[in-house]
Amino acid sequence: MASFLLQRFWQSILLVFIVSILTFFLINLAPGGPSSMMRMDATEEERQAISAQLGLDKPVIVRYGEWLGNAVRGDLGDSLSSGQPVIQRIAERFPHTLQLTILTLIVSVVIGMILGIIAAMKRNRASDYMINFIAVIGLSVPSFWLAIMLILLFSVTLQWLPSSGVPPEGVSLWEQIKYLILPVIILSTSTLPTIVRFMRSSMLEVISQNYVRTARAKGVKESVVIYWHAMRNALIPVVSIVGVLVPRLLGGAVIVESVFGWPGMGRLIVEAANSRDYTLVMGVTIVVTLLVVLTNFIVDIVYSKIDPRVKNF
Amino acid sequence: MKKSTILSVLFTMLLLLLAACGGNNSSQSDAPTDDASSEETSSSPSQGGEIAIPIVGDPIFNPWHPNAYAESNVVNRILFSGLTKPGKDTAPAPSLATEWSASEDGLTWTFKLRDDVKWHDGEAFTADDVVFTFNTLVLDESKGANGASNFRALDEVTKVDDATVEFHLNRPWASLPAYLGFNAEILPQHVLEGTDVWNNTAFNKETPIGTGPYKVETYTSGQSVVLTANDDYFLGRPNIDKVTYKILADVNTHIAQAMTQELDIFSLEDTSSLERLQNVAHLSVEPRNVTKYYWVAVNQNNPTFQDVKFRQAIMHAINRQAIIDNILKGYATIADAAITPNLETYYTNDVAKYDYNPEKAKALLEEIGYIMNSDGVFEKDGEPLSFQFDVAVQGDLVTIAQLIQQDLKAVGMDVELVTLDWNSMIQKDVVERNYDMMMNWWTYPDDPDVYAQYHSSNADTGNNIPNYKDEEMDRLLTLGQETSDPAKRAEVYKELQAYMAEQLPYQYLWYPQELVVINNKLENVPELNYGGTLHYINEWSIKQ
Repeated sequence: MASFLLQRFWQSILLVFIVSILTFFLINLAPGGPSSMMRMDATEEERQAISAQLGLDKPVIVRYGEWLGNAVRGDLGDSLSSGQPVIQRIAERFPHTLQLTILTLIVSVVIGMILGIIAAMKRNRASDYMINFIAVIGLSVPSFWLAIMLILLFSVTLQWLPSSGVPPEGVSLWEQIKYLILPVIILSTSTLPTIVRFMRSSMLEVISQNYVRTARAKGVKESVVIYWHAMRNALIPVVSIVGVLVPRLLGGAVIVESVFGWPGMGRLIVEAANSRDYTLVMGVTIVVTLLVVLTNFIVDIVYSKIDPRVKNF
Repeated sequence: MKKSTILSVLFTMLLLLLAACGGNNSSQSDAPTDDASSEETSSSPSQGGEIAIPIVGDPIFNPWHPNAYAESNVVNRILFSGLTKPGKDTAPAPSLATEWSASEDGLTWTFKLRDDVKWHDGEAFTADDVVFTFNTLVLDESKGANGASNFRALDEVTKVDDATVEFHLNRPWASLPAYLGFNAEILPQHVLEGTDVWNNTAFNKETPIGTGPYKVETYTSGQSVVLTANDDYFLGRPNIDKVTYKILADVNTHIAQAMTQELDIFSLEDTSSLERLQNVAHLSVEPRNVTKYYWVAVNQNNPTFQDVKFRQAIMHAINRQAIIDNILKGYATIADAAITPNLETYYTNDVAKYDYNPEKAKALLEEIGYIMNSDGVFEKDGEPLSFQFDVAVQGDLVTIAQLIQQDLKAVGMDVELVTLDWNSMIQKDVVERNYDMMMNWWTYPDDPDVYAQYHSSNADTGNNIPNYKDEEMDRLLTLGQETSDPAKRAEVYKELQAYMAEQLPYQYLWYPQELVVINNKLENVPELNYGGTLHYINEWSIKQ
């Protein structure tokens, strides 16, 4: 176990390093520069002055070396667009994205499991078809379109829910939940259908196993068969899929945060890329990469705990 | 990159769908009418209340910061004050300065300052703050201050006494007072002196100290900036207690929130939701004049485009009225030159006109030696007339550029449209000047001085984007800057417009009208464009 963890740790370090190289060179080689230099009415003298101030007059390779040297010491530099430390800008936004993604993950896993089990139990019946149909629709409909549609319905027409933003401080729990309902629904469309389909096929596979048949033959109650014997094993592949869903959630957050004015990391990286804020792009990318790596790390450990077949790797 | 367009189209369709479903119980009774406004309340405006305004990104509370863009300007305008501000009649009006005059030779301007102004921290505003702002920040070329290039004619600012400053110029510059009201607010010496101003995040991102009608209460990145009325504002405490700038990146959200009364005033960039907004009982959409014009430019460093007849052919080929009617919903007029109609003293309509006339465009191309080939494309010396047309993904520009491309193709020009993100467009077209044809706009203070965009000294590296070099143009631009008598100045600029319309350094498209969406609960909002009316936010009030 220890050697496996150590191996995974070094793999993760290597991955973060490769991502940092790729990101740094890609963003630096993109046309244009920081927005301060890219104003329509800026003169060449102004652009050169700003470039020198930001240290962009050095070769890219030298700048990467400097960035890496600082990053390993925990210093991600200052944002080129605001002058604030990158860490501070990420810290301002990170909790909002975390709140959105964790809540979406919980909602997706709980509802996805329930729907997946129902679909498996009612295989080839109306409710199975209905659940599958909704899952396909959820995967197919563009989330930004659905988001606008829901804003129009629930915020503009019915005026039940706020159209965007985060809850102001000091409001009731129900008010806070109201702000989260639409973003979570939209973000769930990228994860929920996958969990439903995985749960369904996994459940179908498990209930055809001999031990389930044996349990039923022994007269064990159906609910115990399903929720105790079958579900535990059916969950194994679902746990593994969570690791895949986290990057998808973070990607989906870019659109959801833009449409709902949610001040999270998704919007931050779009703003940073558009304004060629190199240090901020690097900071957000590294933090997101670490998050994905960490999630997969946790998934591996949980997987090894619940699947006896991989316990003794 | 087309996502915003798709979003807008979908949004409009949905709005229409919902409109069709009823739910619009609007009676326009509480919309302001001319009658209502003519009954200008003689009683004093009501006090209190709060309003919300959208901005698309996080602002920087420093008008001279290299990263202060449009979204920062609309915030800084009410946190800080300039020496002047755009007047309601477009002439520069007093702000921190009460009066000004130029010396006989036009090289020294004296500004008398108010002596009753306090910074938000209670310190007194003096001439030292003006000297510090210009000498330390604006005139230091190594700092690259935003808008510093507007002040190339300025050598230094000197203090005469606490309430008097002198601006010393290296050439006469009649538009100095107008430029001092154009995102040129004064910063506090006592707070910023000795600090690294661009990286002073305590000031630029947390608690700025200004002299304006509002001061920052809280700023939450990505969410909002909450401002409260400045009790000590030198023109009296503003009527409205609180102004919240909501940071909302998506313009569709602005529209939705205007409909739900979560936003009170903004400039509508996209006309696709116009009709729906006009049918909302609590909203007015008001067209306002703005000092701005749209253009296409062909690179004058490329011999293909150097003949004036070629540029005239482009003008005859583009159906500008169709663009105005179909895309801009009629809220624009055809442009002939760089001076906009709202500058009534200087604007003239008496210039060369180019009607939409594809046949004339073809005839002009034939006059300069082009021959139509069997593919319907003009060619010269066996070389087809084919070039690239660059456009940035911004508002309606791509859609309009597609129409222009079709018009140019229809007269035998083989035009390839290249869409770029804003940053890439600036790099390629403006920094490297690596383009054949491009499209954009200019906006400038309410003054006809357009030296920066036309003078040959600004070709290749400055704001003279087409790299147009012409001695007569230079002469008129310089004469305009040197002439301070308004009547004589008007004559110079009318001559300049005639010359521009004839020579077409840029190919002029239209003068837009800005559409300002206003919640009818707001009153006493001067009838200026959105940016201009913010200078008078202290006068706004909320209907009781």
